[in-house]
Parts: sequence; structure tokens; C-alpha cells
Amino acid sequence: MIRFNDVSVTYRGGVRALRNVDLRIDDGEFVVVVGLSGAGKSTLLRALNGLVPATSGSITIHGTEVVGAQSAELRAIRSRIGMIFQTFNLVNRTSVLNNVLMGRLASVPAWRSTTGLWPATDTEIAMQALERVGIVEKAYVRAADLSGGQQQRVGIARALAQEPSVMLADEPVAALDPVTSRQIMGDLRRINQEMGITTMVNLHFLDLAREFGRRLVGLRDGEVVFDGDIADVTDETFRHIYGRAITDDDLLAVDDEPTE
Amino acid sequence: MNGPTIAARPTRPRPGARTWVVLGVLITYTVFAGRQVGFDISTFWNVWSNPLWEKFWPVPWDWVLDWHNVLDPLLETFQIAVVATLVGCGLALPLAFAMSPLTSPNRTTMVVSRSVMNVVRAVPDLFWAKLLVTAVGIGAFAGSWALSVFSLAVMVKLFSETVDGADPRPLEAARATGGRRLPVIRTGVLPTVLPEYVAYGLYVFELNIRASVVLGLVGAGGIGRVIEAQRQYFRFDRVLGILLLVLVVVIVIEQVSVAVRKRLV
Amino acid sequence: MAAGPTTGTDGRPPAPTGTASRRMALGALLVILVGWSLTGLEITIDRLLGAPGDAWDIFRRMFPPAFAEAAERGVVGKVFESVHIAWIGTLIGALISLPLAFLAAGNLAPAWVRVPVRQLFNVIRAVPELILAMILIPVTGLGPWAGALAIGVHSIGTLGKWATEAIEGIDEGPLEAVAATGGRWASGMRWGVLPQILPVVTSQWLFRFEINVRASAVLGMIGAGGVGSELVSQLVFRNFPAVGAVLLMTIVVVLTIDTVSAAVRRRIIRGAGRAPGNGTDGDRNAAVLADLTGLRH
Repeated sequence: MIRFNDVSVTYRGGVRALRNVDLRIDDGEFVVVVGLSGAGKSTLLRALNGLVPATSGSITIHGTEVVGAQSAELRAIRSRIGMIFQTFNLVNRTSVLNNVLMGRLASVPAWRSTTGLWPATDTEIAMQALERVGIVEKAYVRAADLSGGQQQRVGIARALAQEPSVMLADEPVAALDPVTSRQIMGDLRRINQEMGITTMVNLHFLDLAREFGRRLVGLRDGEVVFDGDIADVTDETFRHIYGRAITDDDLLAVDDEPTE
Repeated sequence: MNGPTIAARPTRPRPGARTWVVLGVLITYTVFAGRQVGFDISTFWNVWSNPLWEKFWPVPWDWVLDWHNVLDPLLETFQIAVVATLVGCGLALPLAFAMSPLTSPNRTTMVVSRSVMNVVRAVPDLFWAKLLVTAVGIGAFAGSWALSVFSLAVMVKLFSETVDGADPRPLEAARATGGRRLPVIRTGVLPTVLPEYVAYGLYVFELNIRASVVLGLVGAGGIGRVIEAQRQYFRFDRVLGILLLVLVVVIVIEQVSVAVRKRLV
Repeated sequence: MAAGPTTGTDGRPPAPTGTASRRMALGALLVILVGWSLTGLEITIDRLLGAPGDAWDIFRRMFPPAFAEAAERGVVGKVFESVHIAWIGTLIGALISLPLAFLAAGNLAPAWVRVPVRQLFNVIRAVPELILAMILIPVTGLGPWAGALAIGVHSIGTLGKWATEAIEGIDEGPLEAVAATGGRWASGMRWGVLPQILPVVTSQWLFRFEINVRASAVLGMIGAGGVGSELVSQLVFRNFPAVGAVLLMTIVVVLTIDTVSAAVRRRIIRGAGRAPGNGTDGDRNAAVLADLTGLRH
């Protein structure tokens, strides 16, 4: 279980990215976070794994406190949280398998990872992660030679290789086309259901949020202004979260049928 | 489960025989070259017991900052660098245009100018200085000559890359008006490459100041002459003082030229 | 004023005056600077006109080069000794500069580490190989090892600066990804940074090797091994045919190394740049060159 207790984040320079956030997320939930850019979505996810330190309040994962954790402790926390990025954050010049093995860095002795002599068990975990996202045949291809959708699958595999209990996805489809976006969201949803990994996804396309989310959290100016079941969400809810009318730009593709 | 179909795992590609051969050759050559030059790891700690170190300190600043001893030759160095940069860069401009397939009048000019410049560049800078000192006599005059050749070589190398990479479309437009070759280059290419030309020129000026430190070793004038004389008397304290002074001058010039370049490019 | 095109010249803006006068001032400044320099150097017209003739005279006397005599004196071995010195020197510089560059990069190291390391690079760059060799000779004795070490130390400065710039140009996403998986700092460097910079850095090493071949030839002039000593001694005896032979052998070896090394560098950079959306070859060459010369700011 994840708990945010009165969490605030103030950046150097005085920008308040999160204000007194309270959230409770149960194991295995699939939470979609929406809000305008700058509303604090990205900060919310990064506060959870300590990439952005919370200024005040308390964040716990399975009872472990994140706020104020020291480096070794923080690495241990992060090793159990997979993260997926908008820009994939792959090392383009090395193989897909090496990228996925980066998910094992916290569990492999430093001398082994540094020399690239990964234990067979860890290579096996990485291979299985690639199989789960369906691109194991690309294991020895350079990451740069993949399409955007394939690269994001490598990003997901890297997170899975951590064998995480929580998965954070920061705008995972913002750089992808509509068809690929739906496939990637489908992958995340499937992994959440099959493996029971608690998943938090930031999205700015509202129709995608509705299609794939189960629970919706709306952020506005760093505050949680909506938290509820996706079934209860109406266009009025989105207007409330965004503080303005919804336009076509907020939708992935109005007329597109979901592809399978 | 309607997950993705399980594909066969690929086998890990093994590095080919060529990789091993290249690696083997490199390692063998490194070992061989190490023996040839007398590689001796103990130097790395023995160097601290160098009897010369104590001769470096303290720096006699009143000697170093004396007009006659150091500052006047330093000024000479500056003058050499000015003349050499100007001559070198001036000659580099037409040469770079002659060398680029974009602007060269014909293939022969291009190939000949490229080959000549490669040969000029292949001769180390102090070899040029030594040869020119032999030819025109010891002094700043030979130094200016040598640094001009050096500036030309560096400038042509840098600037011709810029000309090669210039946008061909304005050139095409200028050609389409039916102009002659030189006006076409003047209006079609020069404006786009001029900022880089000036930036590289300033960079070459920096290099010239740095190079002048060693020119004196072969009798080519400037501050290097003083360094060489003091070195022969084992006055390394004075050498260090001069080097620090040159470092300050280089840093000041670098700062100025970085500021100018930022405004240009 | 009437709307639409006017026939008079009233509507035309005046030519900007600032740039023209600024150009004049700059031009005048340049002329004064050059005039002052020329008089300071006592460069007179007759010296200027006489010089090309003097240079040509020496050049003419080098032909035909005395290859047999040079070969007998072991010049070929000396030229190759210069190459060995450059190779070992470059390797020493590369191995020491790479870890230091990580400590000098603005995106990896805190200011209190970064600033001193950068200053170290700057100071090293300011001391020419020749001076370094002079300082080293009392420890190493005359010979190639002094040269190799001098080149190695001097290369730390430029190679460190170039590698720092390469590191500062990386995509920081993978670093964030390593941090998010709970990896250590060292893991971030090994897996997030190193694969990104390795192609650029190896081509920088090769480029430095090309420069160092020339530098090591020069070092022979003060007895630090290599072909330079031959040039000096033949010039002292004014044995110009032998000088010509030494020069030609040096040129051939240097050009060969330049050509091979440039081809390898092109392959490395092209292989690394296979990612889509990398711009034209021209852009890439200019960028690589800017990287190599440290001109990018």
C-alpha cells in the first residue's frame, strides 16, 4: 500500500509543485493521474521514488518511509519501484538486452554490473521481461534501431526486470502515435492485471484515461481536486480538473476505434 | 490470455573473427611500442623526487614582470601572432574555397590544393620553424613566417569543413542569376560562412599565442627565446613565472574571443 | 501616406548607419594593430620580398633527397619511434583523462570537484610538451620515454576537456532511469553515460593521436626520442638532401596515419550516429569537428 500524507514539494526558486497531497493507493490498483502540464503529475510520481525529494509530509510504501531516506535506503526503495518515462530514457547506443539489464543494477554486485558479467539468473529475468512485452527477438539489436513503440516496450521491460511491486509511468505515450499509444497502455493494463503490480500512470489524453483507467486522480496547481472511480467521471469532472473547457487537443483521437 | 505470442529467443551474437584480430593487433602493437619507448611505470612515483622541482620555486616576480626581461618579448609574441593570424587566415580564405567541391572552379584545382595542404599539415610546426629559421635567419621574422604557415594549415582545415557543409541553396540561387564565379561565392556562400571564419580566426590567434612559447626553442623569436635562454641556465623559477604569465594572457584572450564568438555564431 | 505600393522613395527605410560605421572602426583598428605589429617586428619590404627566395633556395637544395644516406643513419627507425611515442603517449593521456572528465562534467560533479579538475586541464594545456619533456628528462634520462610521458601528460589537458564536453552533451534520461532503478552512482556512469560517449571519445583519442605523431616528431629536437633529432643534426651540417629525405619520410608516415585514422574515426562516428533524425553528413562532420577542436561553447 502507498500512502501520501500531507505531502508538499517546493522547488528551489519557490515553485510549489505539490500542496498538501493526501492519497492512499491499495496494492494492485491501476491509477491514472491527469491534469494540465505543470499541475504536478510528474512531481507526484517522482516524489514517490525520491527522484524529487518531498519538502514536507510523509510518503510510505509498504510501510517504508521515503521522505528523508538516505542513499542506501533510497536505492533499496527505488529497486522495488519500476519507472517508465515519456522519452523512454534508453541508452541508444547499446543493445536492448543491456538496457533491460539496467533494471537489475540494484540487485547485482557492482563488480559484475560494471564489467558486464551479469549473472545468468539476471539475464534470464531480463529475457523474461522482454518476452512479457513481446520483443525478445530484438534482444541483441541496438536500442536506437527500434521504433518508438518498441523502445517504450524496452522501457517497460527494464522496469519489469526490477521485479517491482509498484510501477510508475510518466506520460508513457506522449511521444507515440495513437495506435501505438493504445498498444502501450494495453500492455501496462495487462501487466497490472496479470502480475498484480500497483500502477500509476500520468496521462494528458482524457479519452485514454477513461479507456484504460480504473481510478482517476485529478491534479490542479499541485492539489488533488478529484479522486474517484473512472465510472463516475463526466466531462464536467475534466472541466473541473483542467479549470477550462475540454478541446480536441486533450483527446488522443476522437474518432479512432481502439485497435487490437 | 491474449498476450503477445512468444517468439524464439535470439542467440547472442558472437564477436566476429575480425574483432579479435583487430584487438590482438592493437594489444600486440601497444606492448611492442611500450617496449620500444622504454615504458617504465616507476617514473610515475620517481618523478616526485625530481631534483628540478626545487628550482621552480619561488617565482621571482620582480624579474618576470620586468619590461626588458619578459614583457617586451611577450609583446613581440603578440605581434607575431597578429601578423601570422592575419596572413594565415587571409590565405586560407581563397584556398578553402578552392578546396571545396561546392565552390572550387574545377576538379584539378580542388585536388591539387587539397594535396598541397595535406602535405603542409603533415610537417610538424616546429619543423617549419626550424627550416624557416635556417632560410631567413634567427628572429621574429622567421617566427612570423613559421606561425603563418601553421595558421594557414589549421585555418584551412577548420574552415574548409565549414564551406563543405554550407547550405548549397543560396549558392544555387546566386548561380541562377547568371553571375560570375567570384561574385556568386561572395553573395551566395560568404555571408553564411563568415561568422565561422571569424570565430576560427580568433581560435587560431589563441593557438598562435600558445605556440609562440616553444618557437623560441629553435630561435624564432618572441617569448620562447627568453624561455629557452633561462632553461639553459636552469632558471626554472623564471621559466615557471613566464609560463604562468603566458597562461594569464592566453586565458584573457580566450575569454575575449569566446565572448566575441558567442555574439557571432 | 497612401495605402498600397508607392512610386516614390518616401516609404523606403533608410539604410542602417550603425553597422557601416562600426565596420569602419573595426577595420581601422585592425589596420593599426597590423601596422604596429609589422613595425615592431622590423619587417621591412626588402626582407619580405627576399624571404620567399631564401626559402625556395633551401627547398631546391633538398632535391634530390638523400634517401640512401638517411636510411643508413636509421632515419626510418626514428620515424617509427616517433609513432610509438605518440601511441603510448596518447594511451597514457586517454586512460588518465577519461575518469577525470567525469569529475569535470557540469552535469555529473558538484562545483567543488568540477572547478579544480577543470583548472587542472587548463594548466596542463598551457604547458607545451617540449617544456614537460625538459622537466622530465632529469628523471627519465634522454630518450623516447621522456617524450611519451610528456605527450601523455599534455594530452590529459585536451583529451580531458574534449571528453568533458562530450559528457556534458549526453542525454540525461538514461541517468535518471538508472537512479530510478536504485542503481549506484558508478552504475549510472558505467551504463548511463559511458555507452553514450564512447564513440565520440574514441574518435577524440584517434584525433589526438594524429596530433601527437607530429608533436613527438618535434620532441626529438630536444632529445626526447624520435625523428626530430635527425632533422636538427642534418640542418646543423646544412646537409639539405638528407633534410629532404627526413622530411619526406616524416610526411609519408604522418599522412598515412592521418588517412587511416580519419577513416576509422568516420566509421566510429557513423556507426554511432545511425539513430534516426541525425541531420545531414555535413552537420555531423561540423559537429564532430567542433567537438574535436573544443570550439563548441
